[in-house]
Formats: sequence, structure tokens, C-alpha cells
Amino acid sequence: MVPKRVLQLLVLACLASALRAGGELYNHLVITPQSPVLEIGTNFTATCMIINTDEITAKDLYWNLSDITVSNKQYTKINSSSLSVTIPVIGEKHEWLFCFCKEVSNYVYLNRSKFRHGIILTKGYRPGKPENLSCEAVQVKMEISSTITCVWKKVGRSSTDVPTKYTLYVKELGRNHSKETNGNSSQVNLEIFPHHMPMEIWVEAHNKLGRIESGHLSKDADSFVKTNPPSDIKVISEKTFPTSLLINWTHPIAEEYLKLTYQIRFCQNGSQSWTYVPLVDTDKYIQSFRLQNLRPDTVYVIQVCCKNARRGHGYWSNWSTNATMRTPEGIPKGKPDLWRIITKVDGVNERQVRFITKDPVFANGRIQRFHIKIQDKKDKVKSRSEEWERIPVNRSEADGSSSQREITFLKQIDLADERSVRVYVTAFNSVGESAQASLFIPDKAYGVWDLAPVEGLNLSSHGGQLWLEWKAPKNKAVSEYVVEWAANGWTDWQRENRTTTHTVIKGNLEKFVCYTVSVHPVYSGWTGKPASVQAFVEEGAPLEGPEIVDRKLGRNDVELVWKEIPQDKRRGFITKYTIFYKNGSKTHSVTVPANTTSYTLTSLSGNTRYDAWISASTIGGSARSLNHSFWTLKYAAGEIEGIVVGVSLGFLFIVLMTMLLCIYKKDVIKENFWPQIPNPGESTIGTWSPHHPVKADTPKENCLSGISVLDVDVCDGKCVFEEDKASLPLKKDKYLSEEHSSGIGGSSCMSSPRQSVSDSDEGGDMADTTASTVQYSSVMASNGYKGQTPSSQPQQAIFSRSESTQPLLDSEENPDMLLQEGSKHSQRFPRQPCFTHTAQNKDSTDPADCHQREMEQQELLEPLDFYPLEEDSEQTTPTEGQSADWLPAAPASSYMPQRGGYRPQ
Amino acid sequence: MNGHVKSMHFQQLMETAAALLSLLLVMAVDSTRTVAASRNQECGNSLQQTLKLTRLVQKESVDLIKTYKASQGEMAELFCKVTVADVPDPNISGLEPSERLASISIHLQAFFPHFKRVYEQQTDLQSPTSPLLAELTTVSTRSKNLATLINSFYQSLFPNLPVPEPAGGPTTLPPPQNVFQQKVYGCVVLKTYKELLANVSRELRTLKNKPIYGI
Repeated sequence: MVPKRVLQLLVLACLASALRAGGELYNHLVITPQSPVLEIGTNFTATCMIINTDEITAKDLYWNLSDITVSNKQYTKINSSSLSVTIPVIGEKHEWLFCFCKEVSNYVYLNRSKFRHGIILTKGYRPGKPENLSCEAVQVKMEISSTITCVWKKVGRSSTDVPTKYTLYVKELGRNHSKETNGNSSQVNLEIFPHHMPMEIWVEAHNKLGRIESGHLSKDADSFVKTNPPSDIKVISEKTFPTSLLINWTHPIAEEYLKLTYQIRFCQNGSQSWTYVPLVDTDKYIQSFRLQNLRPDTVYVIQVCCKNARRGHGYWSNWSTNATMRTPEGIPKGKPDLWRIITKVDGVNERQVRFITKDPVFANGRIQRFHIKIQDKKDKVKSRSEEWERIPVNRSEADGSSSQREITFLKQIDLADERSVRVYVTAFNSVGESAQASLFIPDKAYGVWDLAPVEGLNLSSHGGQLWLEWKAPKNKAVSEYVVEWAANGWTDWQRENRTTTHTVIKGNLEKFVCYTVSVHPVYSGWTGKPASVQAFVEEGAPLEGPEIVDRKLGRNDVELVWKEIPQDKRRGFITKYTIFYKNGSKTHSVTVPANTTSYTLTSLSGNTRYDAWISASTIGGSARSLNHSFWTLKYAAGEIEGIVVGVSLGFLFIVLMTMLLCIYKKDVIKENFWPQIPNPGESTIGTWSPHHPVKADTPKENCLSGISVLDVDVCDGKCVFEEDKASLPLKKDKYLSEEHSSGIGGSSCMSSPRQSVSDSDEGGDMADTTASTVQYSSVMASNGYKGQTPSSQPQQAIFSRSESTQPLLDSEENPDMLLQEGSKHSQRFPRQPCFTHTAQNKDSTDPADCHQREMEQQELLEPLDFYPLEEDSEQTTPTEGQSADWLPAAPASSYMPQRGGYRPQ
Repeated sequence: MNGHVKSMHFQQLMETAAALLSLLLVMAVDSTRTVAASRNQECGNSLQQTLKLTRLVQKESVDLIKTYKASQGEMAELFCKVTVADVPDPNISGLEPSERLASISIHLQAFFPHFKRVYEQQTDLQSPTSPLLAELTTVSTRSKNLATLINSFYQSLFPNLPVPEPAGGPTTLPPPQNVFQQKVYGCVVLKTYKELLANVSRELRTLKNKPIYGI
């Protein structure tokens, strides 16, 4: 450190003396060192010296690093004319370091430019020692290239201002080569490649801050050689050696240049699992090698590479191109893998047994045929004499090394349930015959009772494979297990030894396919009952949704029935069904178990359109059915029927009630609807005049009316009966009929049976007559005469008739009104009690009582002009002889004729 | 008594010294053997490499002659049967291994000007892309390598002897020749060189079978 400082000062002194000699053209401040290259992370000291002036001293100086004034704590005053500063070197970017002077005088102020000086600080890192140097000379044509390529690893950082460069040195005996680069690799071109010559290679990293060499590679030049792989590799297959292949090749380079050692690797075609021949066997300068212990009839791929034979020198060449050859066929080793598929035949006690087989594991060639012999257990002697059945197979030219052995169908038999057979199979290739495989098919009963299945079979899927686990059957010695898997009509199997309790299915299993996996224990050749489970390697969403096949509509519910998704489209186990139904924009869903195929949606709105679909879910996803639209019913089932029945019952009830009412209130009804209007037909007013006598036969006519008869019958039946008989001839007397008809259209008089009969021919005329003409009539007779007429001469009421066309008065139409008004013509009112009484007390039809009461009424009504007939009696007590002919028309009976004739008022 | 005691002490001292001397002698011998073995191994490697390189140059020279003959047109075989003066002697001289090694080195170096002359002549006779020129360069360079290697080997074996150099000064080259003479000259040079290499190879094999420390 001290010598350095001394050196600096010496330089400064020299510089100062030189500048003094130069006169006033130079600055008064000078910094040393000039343009330094600084290592980042170190401290840098610069000194500013005052020259050729006494205007200023060191205390007037100060330092600036770029635009920032350096703290005076970092200053060191060397003497009155020198000031040094020490700064840390930070950052990779170059900076200016200035030495300034305070303006302490006018001279300084006026010559400011002479009182400043600056230097640029270039920063960088020291070069790092290159590592991992390696060099390589490759083969070109039949020689090694004269160009040697080296790569190394850069160490340390490099700044932009102080870049690190690398120089590659290659030193031959007597000659040196070098090449500079900025990267981490370089090539040096030699005149020729110096075989068998020592060579020294190294790389030097250098920049303005220093230089450093990597480690030196001092080796024989051949240590850097990488030859081409051996060429013209030929593999020879010899029929007499089915497990051997002979390999020949050509050296890639002459021995004089380089003595090589070789390495060989091989694998079965299609496999990437290489087998390496031990180096001790090939570590020689050889051109051929015999591979042994290979599998017959197997295609092998062989590669060879080489390197400098000198141990630890040179690089392995690349592997040669593939040389492929099939080993010759050999005698099959092992026995065919015989298996069976048993199917129950419906309706008969037989089983359908299909025998299938795989080639022996070591078929050692193409299997050309199988020989099979089926021996009935009960008929061994006979079967021994049977010949083998020859089953040729036509195999493709596939590689015998394929892990998937082809399944060959051998034979199918129908086997009775009680029969058991033993099957023998051998396989043949072009060289010879395999060992014999045998299989027992026990009778059904034996299989059921004695050959127990495995227990606790469990199956799981991991990594695209199916893993099985089971427990060995108890109390039975299993000789081996057969794991069978079947899907879509395809069956495959594999065998596991007796100690196996878990395995993986080795076949190519497809995703989304349901496999039925069965484990068959084999007991000394006898196949036991299988234990089976179903599984998927990987589950996916079903290919399609369930199909809705039926629906049962209700008003507030609908039952949906769907069909399960076909097995080949499920692609997984159905975990649930989700029923979606939508009314408008609102969607509802219901989840049902996977074993359901129908469901009733409830709480629906009536007479509403719904869209429904069903989604079937598996672990891998779900698929929905097509939209199914339906309308709920307007009425629930039976609702219409209920309404109809109800209405009908109600109507019936009403009718019944009406009828009952009619029956029980018929007199009221009658009174309301058929008021007691005097029969104009019986009126004598029409013919009455002081000079016209009352017809003597009129009463006879009147006696024909039911009312009169009844009335009389009640009061004086004997008389009426006789009159009846007397008046019969007159029934058809038209004239009389017309004469005694009341002629009032809707009145009760017009509806008298007698009149209907008598007017049958001229009904229309009568109607016209009644429509245009209202005949007024009044009964002129009174009971006053009743008692006076002899018994042979029945009491006759005098009936007066008016031909007036004036409408009837209300008082006539409605007797009640008459009653209320206290009219003299309201004679019926007093009669009513008698009618009612008669009607309501049929049993008590005591004529005397009634007569007595009438008499009382008569006494009360004696002042009246008319005495009404007892209509009630007409209806309620018809004579027996009249009832048959007249009863249907009886309700419209006319008034009882007045027999008493006119009684002067 | 004292004398007897002194005699006893002296005797013991002598025995100890003898034992130490014996030990030192054994160590020295062993050390010498180790050094000799190491030197022997080093020399063996160097000799082995020299021999390999000699064989390589020999092989390349054979190939070169073939190429030369193929590139000289008709009567090429005839060219090579003619004797030409001023071509170095292929025979190795000297009785001692050092002399014979020195002779090898000198003979090899003696051929360099001739290779150069042949290359110059063939450059005029052959196209620039002729493999003959490339092979000539290769053999020439390889020969220099061989000479360097032999010199190095020689120096490692005989570090106190001077580096072998041609005794008679610079090699004498033939005067300007016509094309025929050039072709003949070239073939004779190559053929002679091949003979030299054969002799060198033989000589090195002889050396290989001798222990170097016995040279």
C-alpha cells in the first residue's frame, strides 16, 4: 500500500513538473490516477494536486462524484497542495469524479475552467476462473477432424464497461494455437489432428482488471476424440441357435488412428427397455459379438457404440442405427393357457361349455395348431382310445414377444349338469409341441358344494388399471387362481399363483366399459365357484340420458316412468337420477336413487304445461334425457264423475223434494195454480132468462163430472150414483158438452175430462173461442135448494153464463183476493178448511163430520149468493166406477153444476 | 575394565551405525527402484505413443503412395522402380540406442525438405482439390509430429545429450526437374520414406523390449 502511494506521488510530481514546463495552457488541478478501471466492491482513492498557482491551497478543494459533492470526511489532506479522496466503488455504470476549487479569489473566479479536473471511473469485476472445460474432436469421414471444440462454464460477473473475454489455448508438442471469444465455447483449427501426441488445452478469462486460467487438460490428443458409431452393423440369425444372434460391424476408424472399445445393447422390438451387454465382454477391439440367451422367434433391435479403448480417454460415440433381426423359432416352452366359458342352457339340464386357449407364454414361434381331447370322467378307458382333435389356427406374422396373447376358440360342447369332463390341449409350432394343458369341468352339483369361492373380493381402479384383492377360501387348498374379466361379449383371463391375494388386471382395459371381474379358485385342476364384481377402469358421463317412456297425468301430480340407459351407454355406475321439471322459468329438481325407474311429481299446478327431463349421473358426469312436455289435467280423476253424480243426486233430490212437496202440498199448489173458478159450462146464465126454464137435464150432465159425483158421493152418494147412470148417455152429447163447457182457455173448467172428450173434434175451435171470448158465468143456485130437492131429483146448481168478452177480474182469477176483499164471490174460502181437512185427513173421512161442518158453513154462508161445490171431495173421493176412466183428468174437474136453479135475490 | 567397557560401547555404536547404514542403503535402493520404475513407466508410455504414431505415419504413407501412384497416370509403377540420387537414406545408423534414436530423428528431419519439394511439384501437377496434396500435407505434418515426439523421447531418455540434428548441414535437394523426373522423384521420396518408417517402427519395437534404464 505504501509503495503504491509513493508511486502515485512520484507520478504526480513528474506530472506536475511536466505541466509546469508546459506553461499556462494547463489546468491548475490534476487528478491521479487518470482513467482508472475499478473493481466493483473495492475502495478507490484519487488525489487532486494543485499546480502552477499559489492562489489556492488544498483546503479550497472539494470532490464531486458525478453531481454529488463527496463528504469531506472522505478527504485526506496530503499536503497544502494535494487532497485525496476515498470512495467505495458501487454499481456497474461508469461515473465522473471531479476535483473542484472554491472561488476564493477573483482569479479563480475568472479562470474557473482551470480550477477543475475530472476523471472517468470505469467499473467492472475481476474475471472468474472458467470451470468444466471439455473439448471434443469429432470424426469426419474416415479421420478425426482437425478442429477441436471446447466448452466451459463462465464464472463470475462481467460488466458492460469491463467485459470478460476468454481465450482458448491448445498446445501441441512444438505448436501452440489460441482463439479468443466472448462466449463459453470456441473452436481451434489444427493443421491435422495430432493422434498419439500429447496435448494441453486450457482457457483464460481476462479483462482490464486481470486474467485467470482454467485448469489445464493435459492429455493424449486421442482423449478428446469422439468417433462415429460403428457402421454396417449386420445381425445374423442361425436356425440351429434359436436363442442367439451374431452381430458384425465395421470399425468407424482405422486402428492406427485410434484403438476402440465397444458397447452393445439390445431390446425386444417395440420395447424401450434396453439390455446392455457387460463391458467386460465387449471392451476389446472387436468386430463381432454373439448375443445369447435370447427368446426364440422374437424380433430384437440391436445398437453398438464405441470409444477410445484407453480407459478414461475419449468419448462414447453415438449409438449406431437400429439393426433388427428375429431369432429363429424354438420348441414351445410351457403349456397353453386353457380356459372355458360356461353358459347355462335354459330349459334343459345342460351347460354350454366353450373351450378357449391362449398360446403358451413361451410359444417360441408361431403356433400353427392346437390338439384337443375331451375325456369324460366316467369313461376314461374309452376316451383314451379317442384321438386328438386337430384345430389349425392361422396366425398373423405378429411378433411373438407381444405381451397380449391371442385367444383361440377351440371347441364348444353341451355338457349335462351331472357330467364332468377333463380337457387336454397342446400347442404346436413349426419346430415342435408344447407341454399338455388340462382342465376339469366338474358336474354342477360338485361345483356348487365342494369348490368354494374366494371371499372378500374387492376391486379398485388406480391409474387406468383395475386392482383386485381377495381372501383365500377357507378349508381348501387352492392351487392357483384364474382372474377373468368380461365385457361386451369379450372374455379374457389371467392366472395367479396360489399365494396371490391381490393383483392387477394385465389386459388392455378400456375406459368407460363395465367389466365383470371374476376370481375362480382352482383346486388341483378343478375350477371352483367364482366370485364376481363389476367395475369400470374410469367412469364417464353417460352417452345419453334415460328415456322417458310413460307418464300418468293427474291434476296436481304426474308419474314419470323412464327406461334405464343401455349398459353400453352408461359408461359408469348410475349414482342417481335427477328429475327436473320446469313451469315457465322456474326449474325444480328432485333426486331419486339409481334403482328407481319411476317417480311421481307432486304439488304441480293443474291445467299447466310442464317441461320435464331426467338427468342420470355417474361419478364421471351426467347426461340428461330429451325434454318431455306435458299438461297437467284440468280435473282430477273422478272429479267429473263426482260432479255429475252430485248434480244428478241433487237433481234427483230436488225432483223428489218437489214431488214430495207436490204430494204433500198438492192442495196448496192446486189452489195456487188451478184456482177454483166456476165452471162456465155449468152456468145457467147463458141460457137463463126469466122465460127460459132451467133445463131439467143439466144436472144430469153435471152429475157426470167427477167433482159433482164425488161431492154427491160424499154428501149423497146414492143420489150421485144414480144420476151418473142416468147421465151416461149424455156423455157423448156434443151439444151438451159445448153448452156446459166453461169456455175459459186456461181455466180448470176447460180441462175437465168430460169437456176434453166431448170437444175432441173441435178442440181447435174451442181454443179459438176461448181465446177470443171469455165467458162469464156465475152459479145462481144455492144450497138453499139442496134440501128442498127430492132425492130423485138431485140438487142442481144454477149456472149462469155470460158471453162477455171482457177479461176475468182478478177476483175471479184469484179467490184469495176475493177473500181478502171480502167479496161476496169468495165462496171458496169457507170451503177451504173442508178441502184441507179432507186432503190431510183421508183416514178421517167421516161423512157425517164433514157434512156437519158443511152444514155449519152453509149456515154461515147462507146470506151469500152462491154456494160453492166441494171440489176437494171431487178429487179425493171419486167413485170406483169413475176412477178408471176419469181419474187422470180428474184434477181439472169442473165445477159442480148448480141444480137449484135460479134463486131470486 | 575401562578399556573393556569402552570396547563394548564402541561395539554397540558400530552395530547401531551398521544397522542405520543398512537401513539407509535399503531405502536408497528402494528409492532408486521406485524412481526407475516411474521413469520406466513414463518412458514406456512415451515409447508406446511414439510407436503408435510411427505406425500411423507408416499407414498414411502407404495410403499416400497408393494415392500418388493413382494420381500420376500411366507408368506409375515404373516411376517408383527408378533409383534417384539425393534422397535420404532410409537405414538407421548407430550402435547405441541413443545413436540409433538420434539417427531416426535426423533421418526423419532429412525428409521434410523433400516432402516440401514433392508437394510443390505436385501442386503444379495436380488440381488444388486433389487428395494427393491433402495426404502429402498430412504425412508431412505427421512426420514432423513424429520427429518432435522422438526428439522429446530422446531428450527424456538422454537429457544430457544434444538434440539430434543433421550432421551434414541442410539436406541436399535435387536440381530442377522435368515432369517425369518430378514424378519419379516424388515416388522415390515417398517409397524411401516408407522404408524409413518401417525401420523406425522396427527399431522402436526393439527398444520397447529393452528396459530403458538399461539403455
